[in-house]
Parts: sequence; C-alpha cells; structure tokens
Amino acid sequence: MRGRKGMRRSKWLVNTVLAIICVIWTIPTLGLLVSSFRPAADILATGWWNVLPHRDWQTTEQLQLPKDTDLRQPIEVSGATYTDDQLRAGVVADGERLIWENRRARTINVQEKSWTFISRFTTQNYETVLGGKTYSITMPDGSTKTEKGSGMSRSFWNTVAVTVPATVIPIFIASFAAYAFAWLRFPGRKTLFVVIIALLVVPLQVALIPILRDYTSLGLNGTYFGIWLAHTAFGLPLITYFMYTSISQLPKDLFESAFMDGATNFTIFSRLILPLSVPALASISIFQFLWVWNDYLVSLIFLGSQPEVQVLSMNIANLVGSKGNDWHLLTAAAFVSMLMPLAVFFALQKYFVRGLLGGSVKG
Amino acid sequence: MRTKRGKQVWTAFILLLTFIMLLTACGGGAGNTTTNEPSPTAAEGEEGEGGAAEGDTALAKAMNGEYKGKKVTMFGPFTDADEVKFNESIKAFEEQTGIDISYEGSKEFEATISVRVNGGNAPDIADFPQPGLLKGFVKDGKVVDVKTFLSDEYLKKQYNQSWLDMGTMAGPSGDVMAGVWARSSVKSLVWYNKKAFEEAGYTVPATWDELMALTEQIAKDGDPAWSIGIESGTATGWPATDWMEDIMLRTTSPENYDKWVAGELPFTDPIVKNAAQKMSDIWFNEDYVYGGRKSIATTSFGDAVKPLFDNPPKAWLHRQAGFITTFFPEGLTADDYDWFPLPPIDEQYGQPALISGDIYSMFNDRPEVRAVMEFFTTGESLKTWIQSGGVTAPMNDADPSWYANDQERRMAEFIQQADAIRFDGSDLMPGAVGAGTFWKGMTDYVSGTVDLDTALEEIQAGWK
Repeated sequence: MRGRKGMRRSKWLVNTVLAIICVIWTIPTLGLLVSSFRPAADILATGWWNVLPHRDWQTTEQLQLPKDTDLRQPIEVSGATYTDDQLRAGVVADGERLIWENRRARTINVQEKSWTFISRFTTQNYETVLGGKTYSITMPDGSTKTEKGSGMSRSFWNTVAVTVPATVIPIFIASFAAYAFAWLRFPGRKTLFVVIIALLVVPLQVALIPILRDYTSLGLNGTYFGIWLAHTAFGLPLITYFMYTSISQLPKDLFESAFMDGATNFTIFSRLILPLSVPALASISIFQFLWVWNDYLVSLIFLGSQPEVQVLSMNIANLVGSKGNDWHLLTAAAFVSMLMPLAVFFALQKYFVRGLLGGSVKG
Repeated sequence: MRTKRGKQVWTAFILLLTFIMLLTACGGGAGNTTTNEPSPTAAEGEEGEGGAAEGDTALAKAMNGEYKGKKVTMFGPFTDADEVKFNESIKAFEEQTGIDISYEGSKEFEATISVRVNGGNAPDIADFPQPGLLKGFVKDGKVVDVKTFLSDEYLKKQYNQSWLDMGTMAGPSGDVMAGVWARSSVKSLVWYNKKAFEEAGYTVPATWDELMALTEQIAKDGDPAWSIGIESGTATGWPATDWMEDIMLRTTSPENYDKWVAGELPFTDPIVKNAAQKMSDIWFNEDYVYGGRKSIATTSFGDAVKPLFDNPPKAWLHRQAGFITTFFPEGLTADDYDWFPLPPIDEQYGQPALISGDIYSMFNDRPEVRAVMEFFTTGESLKTWIQSGGVTAPMNDADPSWYANDQERRMAEFIQQADAIRFDGSDLMPGAVGAGTFWKGMTDYVSGTVDLDTALEEIQAGWK
C-alpha cells in the first residue's frame, strides 16, 4: 500500500518537473510565434509578453514646465523637486509616475497603473515571406517599376527535392549494410565496422574542400545529384550504426528457419528485416530528414544559392537583406520552414519513441 | 489489409521519389538549353548597336555580339534588394551582348569564397566588399591581373588615382591590379532630420568645435544630440571602427593612416589613443548620447538611426555611411533627411573622406569574362542602380544627373572634392584585426569592461 503511494508521488513529481521543463522549453518558441504576427516597429518597442493583459503605466495628464527650465539643475514639478535622471527613468510618488514626455518641450507625463494589453497584430510578415518582397527600381528613362522578389515556394520545392532523396538513399544503403554487418559472415567484417564507427567522429567540415575539388572535376557542383551524394556520405555512418543496433537484435531463430525454407539473403532482407525494423527506419528517417531540411553548410558549399537550386535555409538567411534590415521577417520565415519537419514528425511519431529505445535496452 | 496498405504506401513513395528525380533532371536540362539559346532581343541589339561599338577591346567585341550565348558566373555578397538592383543594372548589357551573367549572392560570401577558390570552383568574377580578403588570393596568384587586358590610360581615364592605388596589390611576381572598383559608399556622413533641424534653428557645423557646440546646444535644449548603436550580431563593433577611422583621418596625416592600416603604426601609439579619446568625448557623455553609454553596445546599428525620425525627434545626429537610408523608417522622402560631412578636426588635414567600396576580381581568364570586367569599369554598368538610389559610382564617367536625389549627388561630389580619400581601414587590415580584435576591442571599451589602454593593447594583439 505504502509502496504504491510512494510510487504515485514520485510519478507526480516527475510529471511536474517534466511539465516545467516543457514550459521553459516552449516559451521562446511561443515568443517567436507572437512576434511573427507583430509589426517590426512594435517588436522593437515592447516585448512580446505585452500582448498578455498586464498592469502598465498609462498617461492620465500632462504637465507643462516653464520653457526655460534648466535640465541640469534639480527640477521642480508640482511642489517636489527631482533630478533629470529621475524624470528620465520615471519617478513614482503616491502611486503616480512622473516621466518625461518630451524634454525639449519640457512636458511631463503623469501616469497611473492600469490593466492593458497590446492588440496590434499583422499578417504582413507572412505575406512578405510567402509572396516575396517588392523592390522599386528607377529605369533609365526615369520611370519607376516595381519588381517582385521570389517568395519561398520555389525554394520550398527545391528543399523537398534535396531532402527526400537525401533521406531515402542513405537509409536504403545503410539498411543493406547493417544487415550484412549483423548477420552475414565475411572476412574483414569487424574491421570494416570499426572503420564506419570511427567515421562517426570525423567532422564533415574537414571533407568540404577535398570533396569540392572532386566535384569540380566531375562537374557535380550546384547539382542535386551532388548534394544527394554529399548528404548520403555524411549521413551513412550514423544511419548504418543505428540500423545495425536495431537489426542485430532481431531473434536469430527467425533467419535460421527462413534459411531452412530456402530463402535467399535478399528475400530475408526484404520480407523479414525491412518489415520488422519499420520503427527504427521511421525514427532514423526523422533524424536524417530534419538534419537535411535544416542544413545550411552543406548546401552552401555544394549547391550554392543560385535561385533555381536555392534551398529554404539559404533563402531565409538572404531574406534579412544585405545589411540585416529586414530581421523581423525571420520570425515568420522560421515558422513557415518549420511546417514540413513538423508534418513529418507527427506522421511518423508513433514509431519515434519505439525506435529511439531500439538499441538502448538489450535483452 | 495492413500489408496491402503498406505496399500502397511504398508504391506511392517510390513514385514520388522517381517523380522528384525526373523533375530535377528535367529542370537541369531545361536550364542548359535556355542559356545556350540566343535570345531574340540579343539579336535585335546586335543589329541596332552593331555600328556604334568600335575598336578591338573585349567589350567592343561583346557589344558586336561575338560572345553571344556565353555564360559568366559571378559570386558576391549582394542579396535581397541589392541583388535585384544589380541584376537590373546589367540587364541591358546582357540583352545587347547575349552574355548571360549569372549572379549568385550569399550572406556567407566571406566564408564561402575561400572554400570555393581552394576547392577549384572559383566564380569567373567575385565581388569583394573587403579588399583585405582579396589580398590573400592575389598573393597566392589566384586572381587575374586586370592590366593584362585594360591599358593604364584607360583605367586612369575611368578612375581617380586613389582608386587605382587601392586596387593595386602585391601578387606572387610584383604588383597587380587586383580588380575594378564597381560601387562605392561614402562613410563620413552625419545624418539629420532636415525639417526638425531647421525648425529648431540649428545650423550645419563646419568645424569640429562647431559640432561640439551644436551637441552641447542640443543637450541644453533637452535632447541627446547623437544616436549611436554598434550592435551587429557577430560583427558587433564595426560602426565604432568607422568612427575611429574617420577621426584618425582628421587628427593625423593620411600617411600615418596608411601606416596604421598596414600595421606599422601600433594601436597603442598616442596618435591612435588621441583619436579614441576624441570619440569618447561624445560617446561617453551621458547627455550627448541617446540612451547613454550603456545602450551603445546593445543597440543595433540599423535601429540607431530611427530615433532621429520620431516625432518629436529623440536624437538629432547620426554618423553612418550612405547605405543607412535603407534603414530609415518607411515613408520618408528625400525632403525629410539630409547629411553633412563629419567636420574637420585639425585644419591642416582639411576635409577627408572615408569610403568603402566593392572591388570585382577576375578568377578565370576568358574573352567574355574580360568583356564583362571591362563593362564594369563604365558608369553605364551602374546607371539604373544609381537612379534607384543607395550607391555612389567610383567611375569618372557616371553622370551626376543620374542620382535620384540631391543627397546622393552631393555624396559623389564630396568624394571628388575631398582633400584625402581613404578606404575603410578595418576592411583593409587582416581579418584577425579588422574583423576581429578591432571590433571586439572597441566593443569592450565602449561597454566599459576595459579601459582605453587595455582595449588598444587587446586590438594590437591581433597583429601577431
């Protein structure tokens, strides 16, 4: 009895801690979401949490000081004297706050606290991100023409074209490899496997320039095929290892009986292994998909940012403008680019936890 | 049932994959054919202008349509509005010559160009906003000397000598002309809200003393005069280096400035320290700066200009290069703002101008690339960009009447009349200093974490 109670309490504790961590984790994202619907000037002026009802100072009346008030001397306001610094930061007296409205005109706001919230929202950020910006250009004959920049749709499809094959190809190859490493006996199996594990710790940055040289001589730069190959190669070690841990744990009897019945390795792989490792396949797909979808470096080097191949991450980086003047668009762009990974995650999430656990608990 | 459904999913998936592969394969093919197809407009251009272009330079040949269908790749940092304006400014040339200039803009240009060049995938032409970065490539002999196909007389006709000097860099076997200057920007500008400025009865200061008097006057009237922000992400601190360079030019000789930029005059020298103190007179006076000293390092350089155009203005003066007009609040017209040059400090050094610019360098030597490079030495290559605003032409043959407004026209005049023109020093210094310790040291000094001497030593340490 006591034991069960204690367990319930500890469960409650764990849940609370998890809930708190979740909330802390989500708050920045929530802030980003709110900001993405606010006009740029508002984002600069007030924090996103001001959209929630809160108590804030509201001006009730304005005082006009004599125009010749010397700001570097103590300033007299309705009987009391304050320094300029106090009036700049706002000085509270009897529940009222005095703060400069305009120092030049020598006007002071008298403010009281009251409930308020900000309700200015706009979808302009999303419209610009999805539809493209407009630029006005003066032509040689003096007329002005408006040019519409490309929106995100082109780069969205480019990213799909990069990501889907760059997810499928390595998983396809790695599953074959993992089966061989787990269940086939061939010379050099252990050595090869250790080499692959060792490749896990090699940072991909060291390979950039050598591969780029090879790509240049092969003419693969800026092609989809080139980037599929690059992502495949960079992703293979982890995926092979992940699939190996999952496949090596399938019961041995299964294969033996299949062999007895005259199944070839290929039949075993396609009829037994693949269906049995769907959870592992799904979760590593999510990993690889997210990695390729969010990738900036590999596409920057091997694909470049020509409009016909430009991927989302690069498009978003360019959205802010040469001088970073359009930073407010990033909020909306982040949410647009998040849609696809979220969709993939929720579509495959029922396998996700099962797959993650695969390999962690032996038995 | 389940397996059947699974099969369907698999089939659908494989179909999708094949579809994507087909799509991308076709896309590539289509792209190739269009670039090789001579466009009808190019043919028209040839007939119409054929007689006009004479001589045997690459540009003249291109104008006659000799390189029709050729492709020239360009790589540079223009993105967004700049990219659109650039593409617009080369459109007429592309139509007339049939050369396809394929421009690729990247926010990560500085990082990527080294990888590209070392990986053997250099673009035909690269656009360097920081000549310091280009110097390394010139030293390794990766860059084609412009003088191999453009004569000295021609270059002298197109550019002022100081531009040519700045473009001359040390190659593996002697000095080479590392590229052509294609657009410039003036940095020594102090922006103000024209209407409010006139209403308040202030006058544009002609000397440093007058500037300080105006600053004091504005403070007395109740506002901080200056709005300053140096926050810029990983590049935080660069606006402070611009201030330093501007003041250096006004407190010491151009020769000393050159030495300083080359690393021969250390940051710890009293000359440099003096310049930093002149700057501190304004920056660290709580009455002179909007938000006070503590807000300088945390205010974004682009947002710093906005208080000038509040109603009523919260600040009155802002020192920044010509590009800052892109950060002005929307709806502002040329009647609302104006600029004056940062006034001279020491009479004997006159009115110098701090500038920056983009140098186009050539990595692959082909006739059509030569033609495009030659095209970029003409003012014509910038015409629509100048008319759209936001750029000053370094070439002599750009017509002042092209500028969209008086403010920009005066910038071009200002460069021509300046007593000394010097390039942004931090862009010329090696990256470790110019884009490293200089930014960081100034930021530390401004935010008050170190004193001036320590900050200057910190910056100097980058030279080692």
